[in-house]
Amino acid sequence: MQSSIFHGIKLVFRKEFLAGMRCKAAWAAIFMFALTTLSCVSLALQGAVLEPKLQAALFWMVLFFSSMTGMDRCFAEEEMSGTFLPLRLYGAAQAVLFGKMLYSFFLLLVLALFISILFFILLDVGSVSLPEFLAVALAGVLGLSGAGTFLAALTTGAGVKSGLFSVLMLPVILPVFLPAIFLTGRVFGGDSMPFSHLGGMLLYDLLLMVGGSVLFDYFWYEE
Amino acid sequence: MMTISFDSVGLSFGAQRLFDSLHATLPSGQITVVTGQNGSGKSTFLQLAAKFIAPDTGKVVAAEDGSILQKDAFRSRLAMVTPEWNLYARLTAEENLRFFLGLRGMELSAEEIRVLWERVELKWEDTRIPLAGKLSTGMRQRVKLAVLLAVEADVWILDEPCANLDASGWEIVLRAARQAASEGRLILWATNDPREEAAADAVIHLPWN
Repeated sequence: MQSSIFHGIKLVFRKEFLAGMRCKAAWAAIFMFALTTLSCVSLALQGAVLEPKLQAALFWMVLFFSSMTGMDRCFAEEEMSGTFLPLRLYGAAQAVLFGKMLYSFFLLLVLALFISILFFILLDVGSVSLPEFLAVALAGVLGLSGAGTFLAALTTGAGVKSGLFSVLMLPVILPVFLPAIFLTGRVFGGDSMPFSHLGGMLLYDLLLMVGGSVLFDYFWYEE
Repeated sequence: MMTISFDSVGLSFGAQRLFDSLHATLPSGQITVVTGQNGSGKSTFLQLAAKFIAPDTGKVVAAEDGSILQKDAFRSRLAMVTPEWNLYARLTAEENLRFFLGLRGMELSAEEIRVLWERVELKWEDTRIPLAGKLSTGMRQRVKLAVLLAVEADVWILDEPCANLDASGWEIVLRAARQAASEGRLILWATNDPREEAAADAVIHLPWN
């Protein structure tokens, strides 16, 4: 009996969610990183307001490094705890990849929401167009989760943990990161947002997912 | 009829030549036991059979009625119990079972699951309340057996499946393997226990190089 991909994705997401909920320490580490960084910056600024471009860069840096504290382990942890073999044995490649990607996306969305609230409170960001900010945040988070999940899988296969992951992550994520910072800067500055940049980001997100999906099959069924 | 064939298989780990021109045919409908000293390559033999690793030379072919099975098709017909695989420590035994079955597109009713736990002699409350990480090693082994029994795979690859099990657990594994072989499944079993070797229809002894 062949499991449908969507059912498999749902199962993997549910498993990640349940296991994640029962390990509050991992969540605490991610959220505390964001809270500590933004509190420090806010205290250091002593009420001064950053340029919109700097605010945008800071927003994405905090989101990026907060997410990196856990994302690189999403496959390595399976390997270390001995669950990688049964997952490979019973799970279809695409269901596992997209189930884990969906969970990363969910985790990053929650994290982005948390960081955004802190950001607006602590760093005195002016009034912004919420739909435009949400659109950029969603496109950026999609790229981060897609690239992060796929590279985490690849680096697990290479038998090397976070070192290789971080090295590979930078060039892969830059085409998402640079327009995300640019667009967020425009939104924070109250300027209109060029939608061609957003389209480019979404196109790159799509390419990341399609490319990751094709390559992941080789990784998953590789002898 | 399903077979796994080793054709002139050679494999080295560093300087150690583990297998050299190894030939073997493992047919379905019988229990094939692999024996050998520690370090002789029993677990590696099983990994080759499961196509999780590739040989340096020669080939391992899984076929059904003469048609070669591709890796993904073969894997979907395979179930394993090995010391290398663990349950998710932060899920309960039943959540683990439902997760692995779900990945194979299977869903059991509460009654079917109750029968399964009875078959591996696990108490219902031990499978639903404590997380798997809190269960004893023997109980976790029984949960792995429950997964094995439930997925109804055509190929069983068992690496020391009775490790950490008491006498009743040993009986469960042996009975299940015999029944599975009589139903036409391919059973490959690595062990050094003479009692398990005695239950085999065929024995492959791996020399220590």
